[in-house]
Amino acid sequence: MLTFDHVTKQFGALKAIDDVSFAVKPGIITAVIGPNGAGKSTLVNMAAGSYGVSSGRILVDGVELQRLPKHRIAHAGLARTYQNIRLFDAMSVVKNLEVALVPPRIGRLVADTFGLTPRAAAEERRARCHAVLDRLGLGPYAERQAGSLAYGQQKLVELARAVVAGPRVLLLDEPAAGLNHGETEQLKQHILALRAPDLAMVLIEHDMKLIMSISDTIVVMERGRVLAQGTAAEIRANIEVQEAYLGQPGAIKDIEAAARGRRNRVRIREGEGLTWHQP
Amino acid sequence: MRVWPGALAMALLPVLALIAGQFLPAYPLRILDMILLYAILGLGLNIIVGYAGLLDLGYVAFYAIGAYSWALLASGQFDIHLPFALVLLIGASLAGLAGILLGIPVLRLRGDYLAIVTLGFGEIIRVLMNNLDGVTNGPQGIARIDEAHLFGWTLSTPHDFLYLLVAMLVVVFLFVWRIQESALGTALSAVREDQDAARGCGIDTTRVKLVAFAFSAFVGGGCGVVFAAMQRFVSPESFTFWESLIIVLVIVIGGLGNPFGALLGATLLILIPELLRAYADYRLLLYGMALVIIILARPRGIISRPFGPTWLMRRLGGGKC
Repeated sequence: MLTFDHVTKQFGALKAIDDVSFAVKPGIITAVIGPNGAGKSTLVNMAAGSYGVSSGRILVDGVELQRLPKHRIAHAGLARTYQNIRLFDAMSVVKNLEVALVPPRIGRLVADTFGLTPRAAAEERRARCHAVLDRLGLGPYAERQAGSLAYGQQKLVELARAVVAGPRVLLLDEPAAGLNHGETEQLKQHILALRAPDLAMVLIEHDMKLIMSISDTIVVMERGRVLAQGTAAEIRANIEVQEAYLGQPGAIKDIEAAARGRRNRVRIREGEGLTWHQP
Repeated sequence: MRVWPGALAMALLPVLALIAGQFLPAYPLRILDMILLYAILGLGLNIIVGYAGLLDLGYVAFYAIGAYSWALLASGQFDIHLPFALVLLIGASLAGLAGILLGIPVLRLRGDYLAIVTLGFGEIIRVLMNNLDGVTNGPQGIARIDEAHLFGWTLSTPHDFLYLLVAMLVVVFLFVWRIQESALGTALSAVREDQDAARGCGIDTTRVKLVAFAFSAFVGGGCGVVFAAMQRFVSPESFTFWESLIIVLVIVIGGLGNPFGALLGATLLILIPELLRAYADYRLLLYGMALVIIILARPRGIISRPFGPTWLMRRLGGGKC
């Protein structure tokens, strides 16, 4: 279980996250939605240790993450994918996954270098990587250089790398961004297949169709606050949310106008939310 | 069929060295020794530059620490005469320790910043050797260095050192290759590719880099001990920034992250200036031109594939490894 407990993040004068509290339960898929700038990515980056937390606590199964260094957060059982793919391009696909299984203790690493650890351990790690790759249909690409794969496959490799260590919490930061219809459908099946009783999944997405079809619960954010939380049906029915996000033309125009008023340039691409550019 | 391609390829080298040792006169043998020494240095530096992707421009500092270990612990300087094998271990370990001590503060830096700090470290060690008159004789250096004996075998001629260096090359090659194949190598490659993503995967990047630094420095220190035993004279002049640069060039020219690249790079970098000796006036000019041409023709090193042994075996039709 991943818990945000009165979490606040301040960037200078801007409160990117403002006293957010919610829990992500294991066994289900929790989507976090909201317009760009609502704080979704900030939330993920704080949980994963990329950003510090201004105040509040973030916990995985009772372990406080906010003061841990990034690699310890991973050891605590939190894994993530990135909005922009961050694979180890020059390494093979299977090596990419092996990185997530490198023994955490440095003494073990040194012993391994001198061949003092059982060979079976390394082979077992390798087998585990291959098993995950096979599950995601990436088996044939195991020895290919990660950077040479197609975009959609790279996204899947990132997913594989995130799950191979058997995390307790999986953060998916826009996994469907840039995928075509068929790839998104495939991704959806993979995500559904990954659902496990002891895995808490957080999905940040702009693809409303995907969200509505696979999320068990949805958290709506706007301007750093949680606006609403509920099942897909509940959220769909929530007028307030519709106004803020779900594409009532009027609502979007209002936000746009407000943004222009703050001398920001706003661009809306199809299938995405609002993209903010500093002038 | 599973073969151990590195071991196989390296098994050929002692045979070649044995043959060469029988036929070559002293002068070419000395050059061959230097090639082997720089190849070993290149292999050591490769751990940090090729695998971890951290540019170290002060590698010569570790070499110097090793060299002065032999010069001080086996000479008339303080009338200490320790056996060669022991000093080899001490010198390499001291260098490894220096690597850790240097690494702790500086490994937070990356790229150019790290390069500059390591360059500074190299200069600090040289200047230290130059000014610790009471210990190192300053710029005059230390002569009267003992002849090395290794388990009853006297190391004095280039011929003797050829065997020692070949043995060391094989050991270091296997060591470096083990690093590449082990979990440490995987971690180092991840650090090189994307440090933040590596941390997100649970790699303690600071410690992993520290281990790489220590291993790399250890090899450099070992080479230094052999260098001092070979020359039987050390002075700070042998450990200038130019030396660090040559070692970096060895692996850049040969191919980064590739054990065979280091061997090839060392061969070219030592051989070219020797071949140009006849044109003394234009030697450096031609040397520089040759290097520029190599880099232009093969910007990623002559053996550009990062996984040398595996690649070579595939080319030779060998088995999977």
